[in-house]
Amino acid sequence: MIETLILFIGASLLLYVVLGGSDYGAGILELLPAGKQREAQKHVINDAMGPVWEANHMWLILVVVILFMGFPPIFTTLMTALHFPMLALLAGIVVRGAAFTFRHYDAVQEARTQRIYTWLFGLSSLWTALWLGIIVASLNRGIIDPTAGNFWSAYVAPWWGLYPLTVGVFVATIFLFLACVYLIGETTDAALQRRFARHAATANALLIIAGAGVFAASLGERRSLPQEFLHDPRLIATIALATVLLVPLWRFINRRKRTATRVIAASQATLILAGWYLLYAPNALITASGPLSFYTAAAPPATLRQLVLALLIGSAFIFPSLLYLLRVFKLHRR
Amino acid sequence: MAFSLGFHIIFAAIGMVMPFFMCTAHWLYLKKGDERYLALTRMWMKGVAIFFAVGAVSGTVLSFELGLLWPGFMRHAGAIIGMPFSWEGTAFFLEAIAIGLFLYGWKRMNRWVHWTTGLVVGISGFVSGIFVVAANAWMNSPAGFTWDGRAAYGVDPVRAMFNDAWLHQSLHMQLGALQAVGFAVGGIHGFLYLRGRSPELNLKALKIAMAFGAAAAIVQPFAGHFAGQKVAQLQPAKLAAMEGHFETGPRAPLYIGGIPNVEKRTMEWGIPLPGMLSFVAHDDVNAVVTGLDKFPRSDWPPVVIVHVAFQIMVGLGTAMALLGVLYFWFLKRGDFPRWFLWALVIFIPLGAVAIEAGWVVTEVGRQPWIIYGIMRTKDAVTPVPGMVYHFYLFLALYLALAAASVWLLRRQIEIAQKTSEG
Ligand code: HDD
Ligand code: HEM
Ligand code: HEM
Repeated sequence: MIETLILFIGASLLLYVVLGGSDYGAGILELLPAGKQREAQKHVINDAMGPVWEANHMWLILVVVILFMGFPPIFTTLMTALHFPMLALLAGIVVRGAAFTFRHYDAVQEARTQRIYTWLFGLSSLWTALWLGIIVASLNRGIIDPTAGNFWSAYVAPWWGLYPLTVGVFVATIFLFLACVYLIGETTDAALQRRFARHAATANALLIIAGAGVFAASLGERRSLPQEFLHDPRLIATIALATVLLVPLWRFINRRKRTATRVIAASQATLILAGWYLLYAPNALITASGPLSFYTAAAPPATLRQLVLALLIGSAFIFPSLLYLLRVFKLHRR
Repeated sequence: MAFSLGFHIIFAAIGMVMPFFMCTAHWLYLKKGDERYLALTRMWMKGVAIFFAVGAVSGTVLSFELGLLWPGFMRHAGAIIGMPFSWEGTAFFLEAIAIGLFLYGWKRMNRWVHWTTGLVVGISGFVSGIFVVAANAWMNSPAGFTWDGRAAYGVDPVRAMFNDAWLHQSLHMQLGALQAVGFAVGGIHGFLYLRGRSPELNLKALKIAMAFGAAAAIVQPFAGHFAGQKVAQLQPAKLAAMEGHFETGPRAPLYIGGIPNVEKRTMEWGIPLPGMLSFVAHDDVNAVVTGLDKFPRSDWPPVVIVHVAFQIMVGLGTAMALLGVLYFWFLKRGDFPRWFLWALVIFIPLGAVAIEAGWVVTEVGRQPWIIYGIMRTKDAVTPVPGMVYHFYLFLALYLALAAASVWLLRRQIEIAQKTSEG
């Protein structure tokens, strides 16, 4: 029962990163200077995201619902200790979704308002991605303390510091990278494709720097990443594999092989998440008083049964309709 | 929280009802081939897209806020009442997929398949509305667990979801959404019609919206009466507050208007209808109706707020039901007098007012409990200090969103009118 739920949480997070992450990255990409290509780029992004972003966004809601119903202590601990990052995240989500929809559906398409929407969409995408990373990093630092007596240690210390910030930057660059790789296949305009490929390369370089930054910053943490990696060769394997995959990825990008590049980029994201998972599973959180595992924090069996049932029945409807959505919009393009 | 909900509920109501108007117009277009129905479909579609997006993001905020603001509540309630939320999540997922298909699927799919995706948007939105109201109903009528004062045992999420209050609450709420949105959209098109802007288009639009709105409005008083009877049985203190009924006794009067005086424990200025409250609550003019005197003073909800909100809701509900009957009468006769259309214009915002008033009745009427009889509101609140900042942050965010949506919609309507005229 609990394994199934962990699987669902893991899969939803993965899909959120791969699918939703590209949407975030597209927003970040729109912040970069684009000159004459701005309009064309906007249209590609609108067409690529429009039909799917609502669905992509649901993976996050799914995670929240599973935690909330299946693992209430985890949910409440998280929401209390990370109150402020969560608020920041929410504000970002609201602005992002609104700006993107408004940009597309504003009946009067005038340059000035369109620029404001784009700017808001881009900034809030970057902002939300940063906070997403900060939240993820804060889960396992061992600082969250439900019994803390003062404001700072209860609500600020858990997410304060260089390490969460570097993870935030890392997440934002992953998103940008995924978006660039994805968008190459969403247009037939060779100049735009070149632009996306160029930014994919920049994001790739940034990603390596940010990754190194995460490692360096983790040296100041209670348990540093290099230490963890030396203990567990599987972690080294995931990261090494993700890095090696860059070689075929770039070959395929240069040949504009749409499916192959997407599969490889998604596998890289999977590997990074898998590394994270190996590092901590089955613990959801590591608090000051020790780990909080999915096993000890689970709701009563009757609730878990209903939750799994809802997820399975839901999947029976959701997956076919998702596939249909993708078939209609993604496979038979032009 | 209450503020987010108060905001979300209006957007949610619009988001779950508008697709039905859109589908009806689309269906009429596909059947009759009249381009004006296509123009209407397109226009409403954009409204649906905007409201869905805003409804979705404000709903996301709510799902986090439950934990952010009510950790004490969620720690106990999550496992028990998560079920409707998980089903709601499923329904939304389908809705999000369907809306992508409908909005962008013109000419990419068989036209009837395309039409069906629009219908799926409406149905899944409507169903998720039912689920989420079931969750709220559970706070009024907790079920599906045993409570020993500190923790819950024997959790049964199915019973929790189908608690004693879910049916009357969701029935009443869904009708309220249909009628509020039906009147609002009908009123907007009535106004444009009165102004002589593309009269044929606007009359068609008015008829589609009012078919839903008027029908729901006529049924609503019965559903509301049913809700009242259930409240009398499940939460007598709430009923007593709604009616300003202080003394337990037979042949209880129903007041029209009036302000309860909590100090003197009397109703002031109200018009009493002797025995009517007994009849309304228990189908018998001589039945005994429990008054507030049966409850300790500390367990009273804020009587004045609850009573006034209730009167507002019922007053508006009665007026809308009358207008609903008149609507069908004039429809049969074949033309609408101008005063009637102006009356609809006045009712554009009033359905939403009735919905908000109704939520005040349920929510404030439940106080001081957050889970009726189990947990007090003060024990559920987040320990994070500085809640006011949180409140202002979301107030600002939501006001901005509301203003932006209204502004966009106005631009939408203006453009649509111009293109259909020109
Ligand atoms: C205006 C619209 C409105 C709506 C749509 C709702 N509520 Fe509410 N709620 C209020 C308006 C409100 C309120 C009137 O503002 C209360 C009553 C007393 C108060 O302080 O806030 C409140 C109280 C209140 C409380 C106790 C907090 C308090 O009293 O301070 C909780 C936990 C909820 N509500 C939760 C919900 C849920 C789960 C709802 C629906 C599913 C819901 N509310 C609908
Ligand atoms: C505690 C209360 C509530 C929570 C946690 C909640 C949660 C949510 C969530 C997460 C979404 C967005 C899903 C998405 O991303 O698409 C949403 C939207 C929606 N909610 Fe709620 N909701 C609550 C109250 C209500 C109420 C009272 C209603 C009214 C009947 C309602 C009806 C809807 C509808 C219809 C939508 C879809 C929006 C649209 O179609 O435009 N919700 N809600
Ligand atoms: C003659 C008409 C009406 C009567 C007798 C009536 C009666 C009631 C009662 C007794 C409740 C409390 C239910 C509870 O606490 O469980 C209630 C709640 C509510 N009412 Fe009404 N009502 C009427 C009209 C309306 C109208 C016109 C609307 C909206 C357009 C509306 C919207 C609501 C809402 C949103 C709630 C709170 C949600 C719920 O608990 O169902 N009502 N109503």
